[in-house]
Amino acid sequence: MKNRLKVLRAERGWSQQDLAQRLEVSRQSVNAIETGKYDPSLPLAFRIADLFDMAIEEIFLRGE
Amino acid sequence: MTDAIDTAKPGKSGRGPAFWGISFGLAMAVLAALRIADIVGEKAGFAIMLGCSLLLIPLFRSANRAARRGGCASPAVLRYNRGMGVSSIAYVLGLGTAIWAYNHQQDPGVWTYGLALLPVLPIFGMIWTMGRYLVEETDEYLKYRVVVAALIGLGGLLSIASLWGFLETFELVPHVPGWAAVPVWAIGMGLGQFWIKARGQ
Repeated sequence: MKNRLKVLRAERGWSQQDLAQRLEVSRQSVNAIETGKYDPSLPLAFRIADLFDMAIEEIFLRGE
Repeated sequence: MTDAIDTAKPGKSGRGPAFWGISFGLAMAVLAALRIADIVGEKAGFAIMLGCSLLLIPLFRSANRAARRGGCASPAVLRYNRGMGVSSIAYVLGLGTAIWAYNHQQDPGVWTYGLALLPVLPIFGMIWTMGRYLVEETDEYLKYRVVVAALIGLGGLLSIASLWGFLETFELVPHVPGWAAVPVWAIGMGLGQFWIKARGQ
């Protein structure tokens, strides 16, 4: 699944490590989600959406 | 929520877990060859094996360092590495002690059951450590990777065991004892982790 995580993170000037600490996950998790190699569970997707103050579908795109 | 990921910078980087793992495997393989060829005696072989088991300490220390460097040193990962380290050393020591004592016992009996348990209890410890990791790991991606690797190991074990079983039934290969299952599964799991890493996951 495609997502806008990398762009949203870059807009805030956060490194992958910064985002990982905010989400309380590993940096590898952030990297895997950003590159589309791993789709997060619904609870983690909600945490990501809450952090960016956006809806899940504004971050994660339909298709693929 | 998730336990804090340990991002503390490791001190000296040192050699990686692959180096120590290969060193341990090679040392044990050379020792086994020397014992089979009867170049090394039983007592010397046992002493060398004890020395080889010390390689497991830097192996699991370097695994913790690698986890910190890779940004995946969750508390559950560190506890897993510690549990596996202790269990592995106990396994090697238990195996060596059990074989030595079995070869030297005068009167086999109930006592032999206790000997058989020496290497088995650490294996139970490894399985318990793995189960505890899957319960304690709150980082879903790290847990996913371990589950996939464990399933690859299980698939490999079932395939090899089935193939070997039929070859053995047809008397084409020698008998392999059942305790080989855990090492085969662990090797398969290690290959699974390597495959996941190679795919960039």
